[in-house]
Amino acid sequence: MPPPAHAAFDALSALPLLAAAPATSATADAFGFGMLTNYLLVGAVLMGLGMLGFLSRRNLIIMFLSAELMLQGTALTLVGFGRYHGNWTGIVLTIFILTIAACEAALALALVLVLFKRKSSLDVTLWQAIREEGLPPAREREEEAAPVEAVPGPETYPHLTPSGVEPPHPRQPWERRRD
Amino acid sequence: MIPILLTALLGGVGAYLLLPHRLGKARPRAWRAAGGALAALAVLGFALALTPPPVSLATVFFYGFTLLAALGALLMVTSRNPVYSALWFAMVVLSTSGLFLLAGAQFLAAGTIIVYAGAIIVTFLFVIMLAQSEGNALYDRLARAPGRSALVAFAMIAGLVGAILGVSPGPAAPSDAADAPEPLPRMGAWLARVDEVRTPAPHRVVARSVSAQDRMLPEPSERAANGSPPPHMAGLGGTLYTDHLVSVEVAGAVLFVALVGAAAIATPRPPVRPDPARAAALR
Repeated sequence: MPPPAHAAFDALSALPLLAAAPATSATADAFGFGMLTNYLLVGAVLMGLGMLGFLSRRNLIIMFLSAELMLQGTALTLVGFGRYHGNWTGIVLTIFILTIAACEAALALALVLVLFKRKSSLDVTLWQAIREEGLPPAREREEEAAPVEAVPGPETYPHLTPSGVEPPHPRQPWERRRD
Repeated sequence: MIPILLTALLGGVGAYLLLPHRLGKARPRAWRAAGGALAALAVLGFALALTPPPVSLATVFFYGFTLLAALGALLMVTSRNPVYSALWFAMVVLSTSGLFLLAGAQFLAAGTIIVYAGAIIVTFLFVIMLAQSEGNALYDRLARAPGRSALVAFAMIAGLVGAILGVSPGPAAPSDAADAPEPLPRMGAWLARVDEVRTPAPHRVVARSVSAQDRMLPEPSERAANGSPPPHMAGLGGTLYTDHLVSVEVAGAVLFVALVGAAAIATPRPPVRPDPARAAALR
C-alpha cells in the first residue's frame, strides 16, 4: 500500500529550513517594520524601472506598459502599508487602482489603435505636433539610424515532422473551379 | 549611502548597455552581456538592502518573487520586441501577485492575476500583433536619450531607497499583537460614528439604510461560531460595501463610461470630408 500523500509533506517538514517555520510562525507571520521596508523598496524599484521605460522607449505600447509597471509598484507600497497598519485600506485602494487601470487600458488601447491607423506606426515621436506650443522639436535622427542587418540566405521556417499515415484525401479540391 | 549609490550606478550602467542604442546601432554581444551582468549584480545588491525576515518558507518565496519582479521589470523595459516586453510584464504581475499573497492579500492577488495577466496582457498582445505584423520596427531599435533616462531613473531609485532605508519605526509602531488585520469594525459602531456627523452626505444616508437592512439579516455563520474576526473575503467585502460603498458605485460607473468610450473611440468611422461647396462658402 503506498504511503498517503501527506507523508511526503511530513518528511519535507522535517528539513531544517521548514522545521524552523512552526517555531517562528508567530514572528514570521508578523508583518513588522522590516517587512514594510522591504515592500516599499520593491515598490520603489518597480516605480523607477517603469519611469526608465517611459522616458527611454519610443513604442507607444511599451510606454503604456511602463506606466502599468509604475502602478504595480504603487500597489505594492499600498498593500505593504495596509498590512503593516493592520487594516483593509491598502487592499481597498489597490482594488480601486486595479479598476481604474482596467479602464485606462481599455481607453488607451483604443486610442493606440486609432493613432496606429492614422500613421501606420506606433512611434511616439511622430506625434510631436500636439505638444505644448513653443517647445523646440525633439531631434530624433531617424536618418542616422543604423540599417537592419539582414540575415543572409533564404528565410527558413521550422519543419514539422509528419507523423502517422497520411489520410486519403481528395487532391486539392479548393483549386477546382466552381461552376 | 555609498553602497546604495554604487548599486544604483551599476544598475544604471547595466540598463544603459541593455537598452537599445540611441541611433539603433547594434552593440557587440560582449557589451550586452556585460550590461546583463552589471544589472544582475545591481539586483543582487538590491536584495542585500532588504531587511532579512526570519527564515521560513515564506522568506524563500519573498526573495524569489522580489528578484523575479526586479529582473522582469528590467527585461521588460529593455527588450526590443514588444511581445517579449508584454510577456515579461506578465511575469512582473505574477511576482507582484505572489508578494500580495505573502502580505495577506489573497483576493487582491487573485484579482491582479485575473485582471492583468488574464485580460490586460492579452489585449496588449492583440494590439501588438495587429499593429506589428511585419516584424521589428525601427522605433523599437531606437531609444530616446537612453543615457539620460537611465541616469534619472536610477538616481530616483537611489533616492527612494536611501529615503526608505533612512526611516526608523516611530514610537507608535504596532506591536506583534496588533499586527494581525483588525477585525472589521462592526456596523453598529460605524453607524454611531456616522450619526455623530450631522452633515447629511449621500453616502451616510445610503449607509444608514443599508445598515437598517443589515440588522434584519442573520449574523454571518463564520463570525457566530466563536466570535473570531471574519475570514479574509468576508472582512474585505464588509469594508468594501460599508466604508467604501460610494467608491464602489463610482468605480462601477467609471468602468461603464470607459467601456462606452473605448467602443466609441475604436469604432472605425468614415473620415470627415467637408462638402466642397460648403468649404468654398466658408472660405
